[in-house]
Parts: sequence; structure tokens; C-alpha cells
Amino acid sequence: MIIPDSNTLLLIAALGLILIGIGGMVLSLHLLRIIFGLALLESGANLLLILATYSDRSVAPIIVGGKIPAHMADPIPQALVLTAIVIGVAVLALALSLALRIQRAYGTLDVRELRARLDQDIAAEAGINLPHSQDAPRSPAVVNAPGGAS
Amino acid sequence: MNGPVLLIVLPLLTAFLLPIIYRLMPLAGRLTGPLILVVTSIIGLTQLQHLGDDTLAIAMGGFPPPLGISLYIDRLALAFALAVTLGTLLLWPKASGDNPDSRPGSLSLILAGAGCGLALSGDLFNVYVFYELVAVATYGLVAGRGTTAACTASVRYLIISGFGAAMALIGIALIYNATGTLNLAHLAELAPSRLNNGQGLAAFVLLLIGFGVKAELFPVNTWVPEVYATASSRLTALLAGVVSKLALLIVLRLLVLLFPQPEAHLLMLVLGILGVVSGELAAWRARDLNRLLAYSSIGQLGIMFIAFSMPGQAAILAGLAVALHHLIAKPALFLLAERWGGSVQGLSGAAENSPVAAVLFILLSLSLIGVPPFPSFWAKLLVLLELARQAQPLYFLGAAVILAGAALEANYLFRVVSRLYTPDAAQPVPEPQRLPELARAGMLGAVLVASIFVISPINNQLEQLADQASDTQRYISTVNPRVTP
Repeated sequence: MIIPDSNTLLLIAALGLILIGIGGMVLSLHLLRIIFGLALLESGANLLLILATYSDRSVAPIIVGGKIPAHMADPIPQALVLTAIVIGVAVLALALSLALRIQRAYGTLDVRELRARLDQDIAAEAGINLPHSQDAPRSPAVVNAPGGAS
Repeated sequence: MNGPVLLIVLPLLTAFLLPIIYRLMPLAGRLTGPLILVVTSIIGLTQLQHLGDDTLAIAMGGFPPPLGISLYIDRLALAFALAVTLGTLLLWPKASGDNPDSRPGSLSLILAGAGCGLALSGDLFNVYVFYELVAVATYGLVAGRGTTAACTASVRYLIISGFGAAMALIGIALIYNATGTLNLAHLAELAPSRLNNGQGLAAFVLLLIGFGVKAELFPVNTWVPEVYATASSRLTALLAGVVSKLALLIVLRLLVLLFPQPEAHLLMLVLGILGVVSGELAAWRARDLNRLLAYSSIGQLGIMFIAFSMPGQAAILAGLAVALHHLIAKPALFLLAERWGGSVQGLSGAAENSPVAAVLFILLSLSLIGVPPFPSFWAKLLVLLELARQAQPLYFLGAAVILAGAALEANYLFRVVSRLYTPDAAQPVPEPQRLPELARAGMLGAVLVASIFVISPINNQLEQLADQASDTQRYISTVNPRVTP
């Protein structure tokens, strides 16, 4: 049996995270799960960026006692990933707070229902009679839902 | 020397001071934002004059280029930075009654500062950071209207945009893996040997998806109609007019500097064609003015992608011409949609109450379609001539699609115009346009009409811009003087 080295394992992990994230975003119907999918996708991307220069033999790039260590890790991707993580956290917090507001107003986080409600609200604001609109095919869920409750 | 840095720093700094100023003196807080934008515009204008034909690189913090972050300043970048600043100033969010709220002002200033940073930055990761900053500011501004529909549109936009940002990050990781640098000039040096392969192409596709979200690129533009229909008309005008062009500028820079492969150009061409087809058809079917204009903007951005998908500086000139026209015409139309944003059916006889606005709408529509005296005719002609010169079937298809798109545009825009002039006894006549919106739209319309008479000087100016923008060697030697051209 071939045992892959740690770099390959980590690379597989990064790609796995990315695929799980994309899968979660595409396949889930619940807004919260889509947001979690996005978080996983971002972690995968960050890990991939770190792995661009990582090796398990490398040490922190700090010069101790005037001697330059043989295998220094490249500090640039790590600095970049730190920035990316901070941005990711901020966006995640914003997304969750928006989701909370939507849940309070619409009482649901099912993306199909959210989309229908959004179309309905836009149409109501524009003064269009939605059931005959070509943008939204007639479906009982849309027609029977109470209009624009917020 | 450090003037261009102020374009980024001043608005960002003020954005974070604004809440404090509001608390101390509400009136001063209301005036500070526009005032700072006026100051930055003046700085930008003097820099533009000062720069002349030169190109300039600034190493931030004194760290020389391949290691430190550098700003690259040429006339194209400065012109875009100026467009962001002036656009934000013109479309400054309305003061909300007696309850002073500093948040829209702060977010607009962040948008302006980060937009300038995006235009001037010469480092791929820095571009990513500024792009995210622009994105976060727009999420907040979209949701800031407070309605649940706006929040829903904002969160759906956030998810698509977040997906795009993650794709761009993966693309950046691939590029770093191949080259070990993220400085655009250094990358441009290494690109022919390191990025001219499958890995480079994959990175380009990922970056295109990432930055294409804001540029309304075909598969990742589903947020456009939702956000444009729920956000305030000024914000919509800003997003469609200015922010989309900024993202386009990044794609152009990447294409010129890093990815001159024919496959990359072909991908942009195909996505551009699909954008024109889908955008114009959807606009033709749309029944409310806001979404009609939103879809039409997707179509127009598609034309720009088609233009930039051709190699050479003539193509860049053509794309810039279309972008410049759209930058002026589309915000004006969205401003008119503030009052007329409802269903097209409900606009019957609107010309009775606001005759000036109706005439303005006709002028802008004619210009958008590309009827001869207007600048868009010249812009579209440049694109079509350039497409014809490529002499390849797919480029001919692009030309055919642009022409068909213009016919569709004429159809749906004139449908609106005819509504404006046919009163319907069964419906009330829409209320007249509000003066602030009308004045702003009128100003943009006047610029458009005035430009008819100075097409030739504008053409010369844009030619020089395109010349500088397509000069990879100049970019490299400006940032990194060690390398002799």
C-alpha cells in the first residue's frame, strides 16, 4: 500500500473541503446550510493557498542568533491567508445577521420560498400582477402565499 | 508623488471617522462625505494633469516591488479612480429625514476609497482585498434600505459574490504556486514561461468567475435583476455604471498582463456572446422598467467582454468606448427609473406630467441603441469593425449578436417610449419626476449630448489610454526599473 506524504494528504483535504463547500452551496435548499457551504469553501481555498509553499520540514521564517535556518516557510501566503480569513469571518457574520432578519420577517429560510417571496415583493412594488408574469411560472405555492408580509 | 495614495486613504479614513462626526455635529457629518469626495476629485484631476503621458509606480511603505505592494498609476487607472469618486459624489445617498444615520455615508465612502484602490493597485492579492471591500460595502448599501426584499436580495448577492471571491482565491493560489509572486509586473515578466499552460488557464477561468460577478459576466449575474429592482435608484446607478466597469478593468488588466493565450480570449468571447443574448432577451421580456434596465445592462457588459476578447490595442479602444458611454448613459436611465421604476404598463401618459424627463429618456434610449449622431454609434461601430477584422467565424457570430441585440434594444426601449406618450384613461398618470433625480440625469444627458461634438478628441484620448494599457513592457519597466525594455 502506498502511503501518501503529508503534503499530498493536505492537498486532498483542501480539494475535499472545496468540493464539499461547492456541493453544499449548490445542493442545499436551506440558506444557513448554503452559508456554511460558503464557509467550508473559503477554508478550502485558504488551505490551498497555504499549501502553495508549505512543506512539513520547513520552520518559521525567523532569524535566530544571526543564523538563517535552512528550510524557511514562505511567509507571504500565510500573511495573505490571515487577511483572507479575517475577510471571510466578517462576510460570514454579515450573512448570518441578514439571514436572521429574513427569518424574522418571512419565517422561513428555504431558498425556493425566499426566491418566490422576493419575486412577489418586487412585483408588488412594481405593480405587476404576478400570477400572469412570465418570470415566475404559475405554481400553487406562489399564488397562495400571502403577499408581501413583512 | 504621493497624491494618488490620498485617493484611497482619504475616503477610507473619513468613512471610519464619520460616525463620530455625526454624533458630535449632525450637520457637519452630512457635509463631510461629499466634501471629502470633492477634495479627492480635485486631487485626482490635478494628478491626471500632472501625469501627462507618464506612467508611475509607487512602492507602498518604501518596500521595492517584487516584495512590497505597489500602486501602478497610468491614465487609465486614474481615469477610473476619478470616475468612481465623481460617480459616488453625484449619486451620494439621500439624507434620511430628521433621523441622522451615518451608515450610508460611511459605506459610500468605503466604496469610493476601495474602488480607487481597485483601479490603482498593482498587486493581485491587494486587488482581491479591495474587491472584497467594495463587495462588503455594496452588501451593506443594498440591505440598508431596510425592506425584507432588499435583505433577501443582498444575502443572495452575498452568496454568489462570496462564491466568486473563493474562486478568485483558488485562482490566486494556483498563480502563486506556479510563480511565487503576486506583483502584477513581476507576474507579467514570468507569465510567458510559467503561466502559458493548463495551470495558468485554470487560474484565469477561476479569476474570471471571481471578478466576473461584479462585472455582470454571464453565468454569475443572477443577482443583477434582484438587487437592481430592490436597491435605491442611486445605488443601482452606481453599481451598474461604475462598479461593474471597475471589475471589467481588473479583467482587462489580467488579460493583457498575464493571460494573452488565445484560449483565454475565446472563453471571454463565448461568455460575452452568451451575456448579450441572455441579457437582451430577458430585457425584451421584462415587464418593469427597473429589471428591463438591469437586463439591458447585462447585455451591454456582454458587448464590452466581446470587445476585450480580441487581441490588440484597437480592441481595447473599442471596449473602452462602449464602457465610457455606458458609464454615463445607464446611471441617467436608472435615475429616471426612481419614479418610473414600476411596470411599463403603468407608465401610460407619463410624458404629460414630466415632459423634460420623457425627452431625456428618448435621448438616452437612442444613444443606448446606437443611433448615428450619438457616441454609442461610434463605440459600437469600433467594436464591429474590429470584430470584422478578426476574420474568424466566432467573431462574426459576435458581430451578428451585437447587431441583433441592438434591434432588440430598439424594440423594448421604444415600447417604453410609446407608453410614455399614450395616455390611458383607465389609469392615473404617474407622478412627475422629482427634481434632484431629474437634475442629475439631465446633467449626465447633457454630457452625452456635448460629447457628440467632441468625438474626435475623445477618440484620440482613448487611443492613448488603450496604447498605454496594452503596453505590457512599459508596465513591467515602470514598476521594476531594473528590467530594461
